[in-house]
Amino acid sequence: MLHCADITVLERQRARLKWQQDQLQQPQQQQELQQQQHQEQQQQQQQEVRYFSELSQLISQGYDEGGLMMGQQVKPDPAFENGWPDLGKIVAPAAGYGFGPGFEASYAISRTSSSPPAVVPEAVDVKGKVSVAALNEKVSAAVGRESFKKRKADKVQNTKVAVEENTKDKRMKGSAEEGDSSKITEQNNNNNNNNNNRSNSNNNNNKNKNNKETSADTSKASEVQKPDYIHVRARRGQATDSHSLAERVRREKISERMKYLQDLVPGCNKITGKAGMLDEIINYVQSLQRQVEFLSMKLAAVNPRLDFNVDNLFAKEAFPVCPSNFPTIGMSSEMTHPAAYLHQFNSLQQQAVSCSGLDLGIINPSEMGLRRTISAPVSAPETFIDSSCYPPSSNWDSDLQNFYNVASFPSQQFTGTLEASNLKMEM
Amino acid sequence: MRAPSSLKQEFLRKWILGLQICSSSAKSMSISERKKAIKLSADIAMASARNGRTSWSRALIASASKDDNHGKLFVQQILGSDCERLTKISTSIKRLRCKKILKKSSGTIIRRRMKRIPDKAVASSIAKQMVNKRTQILKSLVPGGVFMDEVSLIEETLDYILSLRAQIDVMRSLADATEMMMNC
Repeated sequence: MLHCADITVLERQRARLKWQQDQLQQPQQQQELQQQQHQEQQQQQQQEVRYFSELSQLISQGYDEGGLMMGQQVKPDPAFENGWPDLGKIVAPAAGYGFGPGFEASYAISRTSSSPPAVVPEAVDVKGKVSVAALNEKVSAAVGRESFKKRKADKVQNTKVAVEENTKDKRMKGSAEEGDSSKITEQNNNNNNNNNNRSNSNNNNNKNKNNKETSADTSKASEVQKPDYIHVRARRGQATDSHSLAERVRREKISERMKYLQDLVPGCNKITGKAGMLDEIINYVQSLQRQVEFLSMKLAAVNPRLDFNVDNLFAKEAFPVCPSNFPTIGMSSEMTHPAAYLHQFNSLQQQAVSCSGLDLGIINPSEMGLRRTISAPVSAPETFIDSSCYPPSSNWDSDLQNFYNVASFPSQQFTGTLEASNLKMEM
Repeated sequence: MRAPSSLKQEFLRKWILGLQICSSSAKSMSISERKKAIKLSADIAMASARNGRTSWSRALIASASKDDNHGKLFVQQILGSDCERLTKISTSIKRLRCKKILKKSSGTIIRRRMKRIPDKAVASSIAKQMVNKRTQILKSLVPGGVFMDEVSLIEETLDYILSLRAQIDVMRSLADATEMMMNC
């Protein structure tokens, strides 16, 4: 991607020179003042942005002279696409797991909103949870030369889709405010995009773009614009009809989500193609499903009567499950009580650790004592406790392992390693 | 992200509800039947732990409630009061999407025949075919996947993978504990 970025950068530089020469007649002083102001602001923001330092270097190398103004722009998206793939990569891992709740919420929202058959756009409205919009604004600030507009506070995709007009005479770069607006009106005439609607309502929003974006700002911005369009500009050298733009938006969404999957599926870091990634994902899902089958078979084999009753549940004390053999159950209330769970877990851990070297005869009464305390809320008869098995010493290691595994409820990253350790154990 | 431990607790709770039905109902089932019952109850419990927020869970519940075996029982027991609401949602969504798919599939076949592929684009078309093939496979794997478009398919896959992991952890620990109990 880098080589084509260079080409476009060079072309842009040349074009900008040409354009600036053309623009000499216009009131330059005003433009320069405003440019300076904006540049200062932008520089401040550059320092503040920690994610996109690479990006800003790349961009500042490309653009030495002139400067675009930010904000007060009628026009939308940043005009280079070369930066955006980097942006995508940087954003996704950094903000990956922070997206979690917002992730699902926005997906739910996007699903419902994309049902009306719109050719170009779909509406996504994130209520500023992770303020990716804020990040994107910072990026735009870091870029500093482009005229940005953030239409919908969608996660990454809007500002990722950035573009430039294809015409030779008019260039986006280095445009002053007036020049920009005039160009925009011309562009609007040329384009058949949905851009036409934007110019009016954007003036309100663009003033926000200069400042450091907070989630409040983005939510304000997203509240202001009601229409359900994602505004996309056609890239240089590419078709500008709405179909291909929509196609590109969709493709970028897909690639963004594939990145999340890359984090989730182990061993996917080195694979870069879509087909390869899908392969890995398919293999992983198949292996997970096979594991489920295997485990259910194992449970069926071990348990001929399918009664998962008190004895079992006593043994799995690390679960916050009270002996739920009693059919109805205060089970749910007990189980979801985190304090109780933690208490059980702590006591079990202490027991497990302390018992590792001791003799069985000493251990079991203490174990029984613990069991009694755990089962205190439910009046478990002592017969259950007596009938519970005294695990032979050979099983203590597996017992410990089981408690640690079960009780720790590993997060997803550790599941793989735990599974591996379990496998070793079972071998 | 949802706290994985709360998901597991939720899943376990619902699964035990389902399993209690099993134990009370059938006295002598073959091992494969038992396995199916266990797996089904686990799947339904996992799907219901999502509370109908994801598409795959709704699809799973919908297919289970149509099932003749213990599916309906499980669904009723595990979902409880939400049962009717969720099954209605799932079935209605499925019907809409079925129609979309029929239309889509007929259109693409015709277009492919009429189009001529230049030599330069052969590689890209091959790549596209590979991707399409794998997408089809993934759609067959994820419950309810055939009704989704690519973008939502990937989201659903993400969620499904997480749920499967949680399910496996819980089942494994239960299996180990049971085995330990039985062996002593």
